[in-house]
Amino acid sequence: MSLKIEHLTGGYTGVPVIKDINLEIKPGEALGLIGLNGAGKSTTIKHILGLLRPQKGSITLNDINLMQQPTKFKREVAYIPETPVLYPELTLKEHLELTMLSYNLDEKKAWDRAHELLKMFRLDDKLDWLPIHFSKGMRQKVMIVSAFLADTSLLVIDEPFTGLDPLAVANLIDLIRKAIADGKMVLMTTHVLADAQQAISNYAVLNNGTIEIVGSLKEIREHYGLKPDDPFDKLYLTLNKVDHHE
Amino acid sequence: MNNLAKKRLNENFKQSVKYLTLVFNDFFILALIFLFGALMFWYAQSMKAMPANLWFYKPLVGFVMWLPLLTGKLVTLIKEADMQFLFTQDKHMDEYLKPMFRYSLILPYILIVLLAGILFPFASIKAGIKPSDYFIFVLTILIFKICQLLIEENNLYFEKRIDISLVNIILLILTIVGAYWYWLALIVALISEIYLFYNQKNHQKKLFDWRYAVENEKARKDRVYSIFSMFTDVEEKQVSIKRRKYLDFLLPKSIAKENPNRFLYRRSLLRNPEYLNLLVRMTVFAVLISWLVQDWRWALGLSALVVFLTVYQLMPLATEFDTNIMYRVYPIKREDRGRDLIKVLNIALLIQWLIISACWLLVLPIDIHLFESMAVLLVFAILLIIVYLPNKVKNLNRKR
Repeated sequence: MSLKIEHLTGGYTGVPVIKDINLEIKPGEALGLIGLNGAGKSTTIKHILGLLRPQKGSITLNDINLMQQPTKFKREVAYIPETPVLYPELTLKEHLELTMLSYNLDEKKAWDRAHELLKMFRLDDKLDWLPIHFSKGMRQKVMIVSAFLADTSLLVIDEPFTGLDPLAVANLIDLIRKAIADGKMVLMTTHVLADAQQAISNYAVLNNGTIEIVGSLKEIREHYGLKPDDPFDKLYLTLNKVDHHE
Repeated sequence: MNNLAKKRLNENFKQSVKYLTLVFNDFFILALIFLFGALMFWYAQSMKAMPANLWFYKPLVGFVMWLPLLTGKLVTLIKEADMQFLFTQDKHMDEYLKPMFRYSLILPYILIVLLAGILFPFASIKAGIKPSDYFIFVLTILIFKICQLLIEENNLYFEKRIDISLVNIILLILTIVGAYWYWLALIVALISEIYLFYNQKNHQKKLFDWRYAVENEKARKDRVYSIFSMFTDVEEKQVSIKRRKYLDFLLPKSIAKENPNRFLYRRSLLRNPEYLNLLVRMTVFAVLISWLVQDWRWALGLSALVVFLTVYQLMPLATEFDTNIMYRVYPIKREDRGRDLIKVLNIALLIQWLIISACWLLVLPIDIHLFESMAVLLVFAILLIIVYLPNKVKNLNRKR
């Protein structure tokens, strides 16, 4: 029972953006994917979500192979994108209903959970609103509520803190912590390490399409020769130098 | 700024030509020729039968000549990015808008002159307007259009904004008055034009309302694209979804027996104006032509054609969500979407058949043939559902 990415090579065209990626996340574990823009974080995520076809390698979740059983695989994955994507035709309530239908959730239990989440993100009085009436932050909250409602074994979260108010960030971190405690797997990309490290202790540094190191922030600091009290921004400066060197 | 305006006008012209070529294809031109011929024949016949000099003829001339004033808003081609990149150019917007203003006059002027030509026999023979007076009247209408566009241009600046609906009502009154006292309308038009041109000189000192200009242009483009999209696919068209809560009764009360594709298609059909407007427009069209032909055979044939065209034009609904990343990420069976679409279209077609049949009872002579036609139209709709649609859906899945 885990997410296994083995020798994954892929990208948008024939030229690979990510090369020979190997990662494993076990139940109750979370992994932060960090790197500069263009390092391959979003490409890796798109492969895990089945939005891109791998050139080489395989992705399995709880022994379900993505390429062989895509719908079964997707039923185990919930996704929060960096830019919220909603259906303009559906109200907030209908977005939640669609999530229930797609993930085959028990309607009564799902609504109990949904009401909790809606209250947490102060959306409980906006059930009949269409996305056109939501601000960017509110749209992101709808994505978060829908993802946590799906109750899947893997949560894929792409840059989740952009556009959220501090209260929503705190609530999201809380939810991620609870999900990990409940034995879920979390894969998250972020540049906001100060917030991320409240929930995630393990990170993979992606640079130029390859994984350079997987470990705790302490281990990553040591790997790049940073002092314990150096600001983490320095890691990005180091990555930039490595990138330019190549 | 003048060069930028000319460059944008050039691009806009090319885009318009592209869509006009698609809209005015051979079949459509042929249909238009027939339609125009039939209309002109009806007009000529009516002219013979109509008594002369009835009291409402002059107001009618005024009203008809007012209609083209409603077409052709001020084209500005201002883009959202201009709020950022041309933010400091308020002073030069006057210069930018000059070629835009001239361009905006082309379409309404063509329509005014065309309509004035068509209306001339009625105005001169039946309404009793002398040809020289009619010429001045048409000239006044042309000046009114300039005034209307000048007001629209003024509204782009931060100052007391004049509501265009109010302007149009005043113009309606003036055109009707102009059909009686043409000199009076001409004087009012000239004074207004001189005042508005004088006022335009102050634009350089005023603050340009970028947000209003962007929204206005977006709305104008949406209207133009909506017209093109009635005949062809328009990539640039942005759809504005309407909630339409009053149609919620057409949705299943519970989601227990629903599936994700059907759930999405039903809501898109009811809330996306592209689909609902199409369904309404086609249904109204079927009723209208049935009423015009007043014969059950023609009504049946033409309505069957309309039902077929409705289904044909609703097919893009099947791939509506394919570009939505969440639709691809969610565990939704995409291979079933064709079958789910058919189930949703079943209901839409039956509702269309029901409305057409009910309206036939009101607009056509009631006899046994009419009831037979209703039954035949129903069979035709069912055949579309069970024979034509599954075949089309198979093609859609192959394209996937």
